Formats: sequence, structure tokens, C-alpha cells
Amino acid sequence: MQDQLTALLAKAAAELPALKTRPEFEAAKARYVGPHGELTALMKQMGALSKEQKPAAGKLINETKTQLATQLDAALARIADAELAAQLGPALDPTLPSPDAGPGTRHPLTLVREEMCRILRKVGFTVADGPEVETEFYCFDALSTPADHPARDEKDTFYFPASARFGNVAQKVPGEKYLLRTHTSSVQIRTMLKGEPPIRIVSPGRVYRRDTSDATHSANFHQLECLYVDKGVTVRDLKALLDHIFVSLLGQDTKTRFRPHYFGYTEPSFEVDLGAAHLPKVKKPWIEIGGCGMVDPTVFEAVGYDPEVWTGYAFGMGLERLAMLLYGIDDIRYFYQNDLRFLKQFA
Amino acid sequence: MKISLNWLKDYVKLDASIEEIARAVTFLGFEVEGVLNTGAPKLDHVVVGEILTRTKIPNLKKEISLCTVDVGPAGGVKTIVCGAHNCDPGRRVPVALPGAVLPGDFKITASKKYGHESQGMLCGPDEIGLPEGDGLLILNGLPALGTPINEVLPPGDTVFDIEITPNRPDCQSHLGIARELAAWFKLPLIYPQEKFRGDLAGAPDRADLLHAVRVDAPEDCQLYSAHIITGVKIGPSPDWMQRRLAAVGLRPVNNVVDVGNYVMLETGQPLHAFDARKLGGGQIVVRRAADGEKLTTLDGKERALTSRMLVIADAQRPVVIAGIMGGEASGVAADTADLVLECAIFNKQSVRRTSRQLGLASDSSYRYERGVDAHSALEAAWRAVDLILETAGGQVAGPVFKIGGEAPWQREIVVTRDYITEKLGFDIPAAAMRAAFESLELNVTREEPTEKRGPAWTVAIPSWRDDLDRPVDLVEEVLRLYGTEKIPAATVRAPGLVGDDAPAALFNRRVTDYLVGHDFHECVSYTLRPAKEVAAWIAPSPTDALALANPFVDEQSHLRASLVPGLLESLRINQSRGVAVSRLCETGRVFVDREGQVYECASVAFVIARSVGERAWLKREPADFYTAKHHVLALASSAGVDLSRSPIAAAPACDWQAGHSAALHDHGHAWAARFGLLNLAAVQALGVAGQVYAGEFAILPEKLPAAAARRRFSDFSLFPAALRDLALVVSETVPAAEVQRQLTQAARAAAGSAFAVESVGVFDVYRGQGLPEGKKSLAFALVFRSAARTLTDDEVNAALAKIQAAITAEGAITIRT
Repeated sequence: MQDQLTALLAKAAAELPALKTRPEFEAAKARYVGPHGELTALMKQMGALSKEQKPAAGKLINETKTQLATQLDAALARIADAELAAQLGPALDPTLPSPDAGPGTRHPLTLVREEMCRILRKVGFTVADGPEVETEFYCFDALSTPADHPARDEKDTFYFPASARFGNVAQKVPGEKYLLRTHTSSVQIRTMLKGEPPIRIVSPGRVYRRDTSDATHSANFHQLECLYVDKGVTVRDLKALLDHIFVSLLGQDTKTRFRPHYFGYTEPSFEVDLGAAHLPKVKKPWIEIGGCGMVDPTVFEAVGYDPEVWTGYAFGMGLERLAMLLYGIDDIRYFYQNDLRFLKQFA
Repeated sequence: MKISLNWLKDYVKLDASIEEIARAVTFLGFEVEGVLNTGAPKLDHVVVGEILTRTKIPNLKKEISLCTVDVGPAGGVKTIVCGAHNCDPGRRVPVALPGAVLPGDFKITASKKYGHESQGMLCGPDEIGLPEGDGLLILNGLPALGTPINEVLPPGDTVFDIEITPNRPDCQSHLGIARELAAWFKLPLIYPQEKFRGDLAGAPDRADLLHAVRVDAPEDCQLYSAHIITGVKIGPSPDWMQRRLAAVGLRPVNNVVDVGNYVMLETGQPLHAFDARKLGGGQIVVRRAADGEKLTTLDGKERALTSRMLVIADAQRPVVIAGIMGGEASGVAADTADLVLECAIFNKQSVRRTSRQLGLASDSSYRYERGVDAHSALEAAWRAVDLILETAGGQVAGPVFKIGGEAPWQREIVVTRDYITEKLGFDIPAAAMRAAFESLELNVTREEPTEKRGPAWTVAIPSWRDDLDRPVDLVEEVLRLYGTEKIPAATVRAPGLVGDDAPAALFNRRVTDYLVGHDFHECVSYTLRPAKEVAAWIAPSPTDALALANPFVDEQSHLRASLVPGLLESLRINQSRGVAVSRLCETGRVFVDREGQVYECASVAFVIARSVGERAWLKREPADFYTAKHHVLALASSAGVDLSRSPIAAAPACDWQAGHSAALHDHGHAWAARFGLLNLAAVQALGVAGQVYAGEFAILPEKLPAAAARRRFSDFSLFPAALRDLALVVSETVPAAEVQRQLTQAARAAAGSAFAVESVGVFDVYRGQGLPEGKKSLAFALVFRSAARTLTDDEVNAALAKIQAAITAEGAITIRT
């Protein structure tokens, strides 16, 4: 019997590793350990053995059974591995590029706008919105721009014909002309008319000037303005805001300075210079970045706020100009050509 | 405006450096756009020398000379190598000796040149900071050898190009800027002292030259004065005056014209001189022109006048366009002997309007448009009389005319120290505030203590400071002179958020995030588009409702009605530059014309170009109509709009490809969506290669939800689903959505309240073999589920049988077996 068992094991050792599929395996398994298998047949011979022979034979059979089970398990594991390997196909070359397009990119103007909005949000400014088609009241009258001011001239501002009708931009003054806003300050007026102070808004948006297009001028461009209206707002608060903005944008040692200037809707008014130490391509120590000032009492009067009670400041700047300074871009037209070699540089 | 430093020094004894002066001007509130030095800078070790000998150095390609030069007490005779053509013996020239530093940081040392020791350099004008000349600068008049060169050259000047803000017309003059600088540097301001001050005692009466001045349009001419000067001799103005005029960019003409310009640049008051004999009828009439009148101005152009334009006329015809430019015929000429000097104040708007209409501007009109101080006008006239008498001779004659200008100037503002401090947010000493006023000639006529608010000052505002009208205007004056650079740092006071970002901003952010996350590149395009693009893409004929009244260029004449054309333009630009491009997107405002009413909408759009012959080592499924649909649905949901609830219609055929595109809009036209394949021919006509799929969504910004409504959890079943497939044969023309709707309805009816129809979804569309012509098969997967138990096959099969019976009842739909 020992010889038969040894022969059985040897046969299994020869046959099982060659099995390729699960059906082959199941058939082989039946041949060895199934009810009609060879091991089962040998076990049946046990009955014919003497009482003295039985323990040794039983032990032998058990050992053989264990060894066969190990061989079968190994064969099955090998088949399972082969099956998984068959799902994979050959190893691939990880150095080949993905054929998928992307990643997508945000436009540099969006990047700069969103960064500014985040910086301003930290000090309580929320984004306000208004239409690009405006009326003379919101764009000029309410901002103390006299009727004969050159900025209102047809030479500098895009107007619509008197017959133009805008369904969702209401005229404040009957019959007043529609135009394309020349600054986002019109959003300040709309926001103040709609709500009550205190007000703390940032209004980024597209504005229009009737001007020759060149490396620094574009028929439409983008501005970002801040307006804060509250009690007891001071020039010093305005300076603190500008410092906050540019320190957040460019680092702790960033400097800003005010130069007195003139705007019709602020008094006093300033131009803001930015210390250019961190800016690429700027050779001057200071570069003009925007305009600001304390809201002129006449503007408060135009929106029905009591100028004896309310004070405020406003700050505005061009987003293209800021982006050009931050990134070192020297032609405004790049923003509007959308050459992918340009767009992919900033994301 | 150009301001000469030498000229300024007549009125304020500035000894600060150029840099300090430029800084002062800047922080007084005027941008310095440029600083130009005329004349040589201060140069050490550059002296007068005389060339003694000149020897040509042999065997050189260029002509180079070896010279001996005598610089007298500055070092005797030197040997110097020189490449100039005019280094001839006997000439006196500037000699830069070792140790000299020439402009451009050019250091002169003794060195070997062309094999010879050179002990300095002979200089051309450009090498010592003068305008370029031909060869060496030859010094005429035998200046003494060894004299420092600056003592020999005419004095240089520094010209500041200063931008004057529109609120400060008083600074359109040297005196105005001098007044500001005097305040800044705390120096006295020295006014020109007129000798003639209107006194005609003993002057001859020359009413024969001018006997009447009449102002017919007083609303356009607040003041008109005329002085007569007889017996002048026209000739060039003196050197000092010519030099100053030239320094600030004016061409000297003759003594009388130059005086007019000089006084204008000094005081800001424009002046005009007539040849008295050319004034027809011996009279001046300030009137509106008659329509059709003509005048040939000094620049030789004939100008057609209208009744809205103010002119100065003689008895017969206009001789000057008031405040803008004189006529050729009445001007001062070489033979002019008797003058009428006009000094007037014209209405700003009138001058601006006329200047615009004629396309004619001048130094005079520039000043009138911004405002000229009527109360200083006569001083300017007297000053001009002085200078004419000084430079052209002659004498003042009577009568003198002055029409208007009677209203005296008086303005006072009362302001307290605390008011200023409250506006500034930091302290400036009261004495410094008061000193700031007085340094600007804002005289404090009264100082009174107040109970709690510090001293109250009554400040007299001079006539030239019409911009100062309210206490707040004085805050700026104090701060300017205190120095805006000294505003102390502070932290931002930020008492909490007052609201959320505007819905339009949130929408833009969401859709941009979505599209960029799906590999789109965000673009920015122009809002203003050419008429032909609007015609090609929006409507068959350009819609007038989108047209500007005054476009600047033809290519930018209309508002955009869609973002898609801009994206196509970007596709084209990239393709034409050989840049591989496919997915672009944009957000922005579009303008939608509905029956003559234009609505400004927030919009988002994308394009996906499927380029022909695109190569990739691994093929991907290309984007198609359903890709575009998928993205538009997602974008609309960012605006709180569920497109799947709206009926789909065909998109307009001029820009979208018929049969391969779709459009949706809501009943109230609050929003609209389009997607699919762009019109192949139109895309090709634009020069864009390949097929372009696109999608756009536009919504009235006021319809964007402020915040998405809070969703409520709805429970779902944990029991297993029962799945059944059903293939339905329908006519080709029946949309799948319609079949799905009917099937869903039938399934719900069949399931009743026993269990739920969880979903009915298309998983296969088939046409061809086995189906009749004109039919298609739509295979649906139906999912049933109960919230309370596992469904049995029997009940589901019974429901399916009912569904089949119901759906085929009308005969349009059959079951595919």
C-alpha cells in the first residue's frame, strides 16, 4: 500500500502543475480525491488490513491526503494567478504620455480677480455685481461727473442710440442715455441705492473705454473696486486696506504709498503706488497701481445717505494692469487672444 | 504741462535738488511724467583748451589724429588722441582731463590709444550732455584757457513735464506751480511786479484805432478787456524769453506773440494781440458766429463757423475764434505798429464745444476749457503790457475797455481741527494745519476756540482756488502739505461679513470650476463684435438693437449675443499659430435681443474642436453631441436650472448644425441653452478647421438664485431590485424621450401602489436588419423595487405584461421580440 500511495503522490506531482484551467483542475481533483478517486479507492482497501496494520496505514493515508491537498491548493492558486494575469495583458510603458487633454486652466485675469476677492473677503468685503450696460445716472451723474465732463464725451464713452431698449437695465432718469460703463463705480451706486450702510463690497467687472487698442489699451478691460461705507471711516483706514491688500498679495515687506490726486467722486483723492521690489520687469522703485479716496459727500447725497452721518472710502484698480505687473506680461492683447501657450503658463 | 526750473526760480528761490523738486511736485498731487535737462550738467575737470598741433596717426582705417592741446593753468600742454574730423589747430574746444566723469558715467583716464599716450579727451556737444552736433564743440569768442567748461556754456535748464489734474487749472502756469512749491519748501512766493497797472493818465486817446467793444453773448464771455498799445516795433523777442519758450516747447515767433505766450505760461491767462489797423470799423464785437460764416485761422485752414460758436468780430466779420485761435488776417505781422491786446474770460463749455466741433485745440483753448481765474485776468493784461513795452517799445494809449467781470470774489470756509483729524484718522498739530493753509495763501481770517473740537478757522479762499468749497476740501490741503507718505500704518477694521458674494459671482465661479475641472481652458474675449459676425451667428441681418451709437472701429460695433463666436476666434488663432487646441470655455455677459428689448445675461459657453487628422498614440472616444449635452446640463444646474424638465427644440440654423444640435429655453425667457454641433459651413467660413461641438447657457443675472435651497434626505429601499428589459419598436421620427415618457407612465400605472418604478432608462438604440424601414428599436431597462419586501417574479412579470399591453395599445409602439 505504501508503494501505491507513493506512486499516487508522484503521479499527482507530475500532473497537477501542468493543469491550465479550472475544469481541468476539477477533473483532476475528482480523479484523486473525489468519491471515485484513486485515494478514495486506496482508503477503501483499509478494510482489508489487519488490526495491527491499520494504524500505520491510516497514518500513511492521512499524510498522503494532506500532501495531495497541498498540491491541489498550489495548482488552484497557480490557475487563479494565471487567470488574473490573463486579464491584464502585457506590462505597459509608464513613460508614455496620457493622450487625454488637460488639465484645464483658469484665465490669468480670473486668477488675479479671485485672489483679490479672497484677500478682500478676509477683511469683510463681499462681491457685488452690476450690469455692463449702464445709464448716465449710475455711471456719471451719481458720481458727481458734470454733464460737460470730458469723460462723458462721445469721444471717450460708448453710447447706445436713443432708440435702444434694455429689458433688465432700468433708467433712473426718464430718457437718459444707455452706455457701456466706463468704470465699475456704477456698482457702488447700485449697491448703495439698494441697501443700507454699513456697506463693504468689492466689485470686479468689465468696463469699456472708447480708445485705440495697443499694448496697454483695450476697448474693454477689467476693474476691481472696493467700497466701504460706515461711521467714522478715515484716510488712515483706507491706507490700512491698501497695505493689507498688497502685503497679502506680495509679502510682508511690500510697501504702498499715496500721492494726492483728483477724482470727482472722492475727496481727498489719491493715486496708489506700489513698491516694485517684488515685481518682474519693473525698473522703477514705485509703480502706479490704482486710485482711491474718501467718498465725496455729493455721492452720498446722490444715493440718499446723510453725509453728516456716513463716511467711506473707495479704491479701484485695473485687473489687466495688476496681472501684467504680477506676471510680467507686457502686452494687454495677450489676455484676449487666448493662445494656449499663454493660458497654460499661469494655472 | 512743461515747467522750466529757471523760470520757476523767478517766483520762488528754490535751492533744492532736481530730485527733491520732482518729489515735491509728485506729493503735492501732480504727476511728473518726465524731467528733461537742457544744457550741460555740472562737469568737473572739463576745461577750455586750444588745439596746438594735429598729426594724423598713420596706417589706420579711420582717420585718427594725435593732437597737442593747451589747457593753460589747468595743466599746460597735453597730448590727446582724437577721432573727430574738426580737431584743427587754433580751435578752442572742451577738454575732458583725467578724473572727469562725463554723462553716462563715462570716466576719463590717461591711457594708451592707437599706440600713443592720450591724456584726456576732446569733447563733442553730445559728450558733455548737449544736443548732438557735428564733431567737436567749437567754443567761439576765445574763452580763457583752463576755464571750467560750465562757465563758458550757456546755463542749462531743467524742464519738468507735469500732469495737471482737472481740478487745478490754477497750476496751468509757472506761477501756479511756483505757489505750490513755495508752500512745500516754506519759501516766499515772489509775484511779478507790474509797472503798468491800468493808469492811463497822460496817455494819448486813440479811439480812432478802437472806439467800441461790445459783448453780445455775455453768457459765453464773462470778462472782455482791451488795451491799446501804439508804435511798437515787431522783431524777435529777447534771448532770455526765447530760451524759456523754447525750453517748454513753444516756437518763438516775434516779440508781441511771444509776450502773449510768455504771460500765458507765467499766469495761466491766455492773451491775444490784434493788429489794430486790421480791425474793421475800429470796433470789437464778442458774438456768436452766424451760420455759414468762415474764418481762416492762423494755421492757414478755413473754418466753417456755426451759430453755437463764439467769435471775436470786428464791424464786419469774425477775426478770432474766441479762446481758441486767431484769424490769419487780423494777426500781428512784421509791419504791425499798433496793437489791441485782448484779455478775456470765456465760458468753459462754449470753448470746449467749439474746439471739439472744429477739431481745433490750442494752449489757449486747453486753459479756457479747464477754467481761468477771472479775478487775476487784469494783472495778466498789465504784465503783458509791461513786457510788450519792454521788448517791442511803443506806448499805452486810451481808451481802455473792460466789459463784465464786476462780481467781486469772496469765499470763506470754516473748519475745525477735530473735523480734519476725524477725516484723517490721525493727529496733525493744529499749528501745522494752520501753517499749511497760509502757505497756500488760504489766509486764516479768524481763529476761534471751540468747546470740544479744537480751534475753528475761517479760511479765505483765493479766487484761483475755485476747487475749494467745503470743509472736506481743506482736509486734502492739510494732508498734501503734511505729506501723504506720513499717513501712519494701521490694521484693517473688519467687523464681520455683511453678506454673501453676488449670485452672478458665485455662478461664474461654479461653472468655471466645473469646466476647468473637465479640462477646458478658460478664455476671455472682447464684448464688442463686428456687425458681420452678429449677422452670421445671431440673426440673418445685423440686429440694430445690439449696435453702438458711436463705435470706435468697425470690427467692434455690436454687443455680443453669444460667447461662442469669441471662442471660435480663439480656436482659429491657436490653429493658425500651430498650437493644438480643443477645449475652450468662457464666462461673461451676453446681450440677447427679444423683440427690440435687449437683455443683459450672465452666460457660460464652451467649444470642443474635433480636429481632422489629429494624431495620438492611443485613440480615445471623440466628444460628440451628447458630450455637449452632458456639460450644458451640468452648467444649467449650477444656476439652479434642471434642463431635463424642459422640452428640447431645434437650435437656430445659422450658427448650429441642423439635426445635430438642440436648444431649450424657459417660458419666461429667464434662461436659454444651446448645444451640439456648430454649423459646419459657418465654422469653415471662419477659418476654423474640423468639427466644433459647443454648448452655451445664458440666464438673466437677477434670476440666479442667491443660495441653493437646502435639500431634504429621502429614504431609499434596502430590498433587492427586480430588473426587466423591454425593447420597443417605434417610428424613426418619434423622440426617445417621448417613448420613455409613455413607458414610464405605463410602468407606474402597472406597478400601482404595490411597488415603485425606480428607473426607466434607454440602454440600446438599434436600426437596420430585422426592423422595417423607418423604424428603430429602443431598449429600456426597467428597475422595480419595493420599500417593504423582496419582489416576486410573478408580480413583476404580471406588471411587465400590463406595461406591454398598455404601451402597444395605441399601435404606434410594438414590442420587439
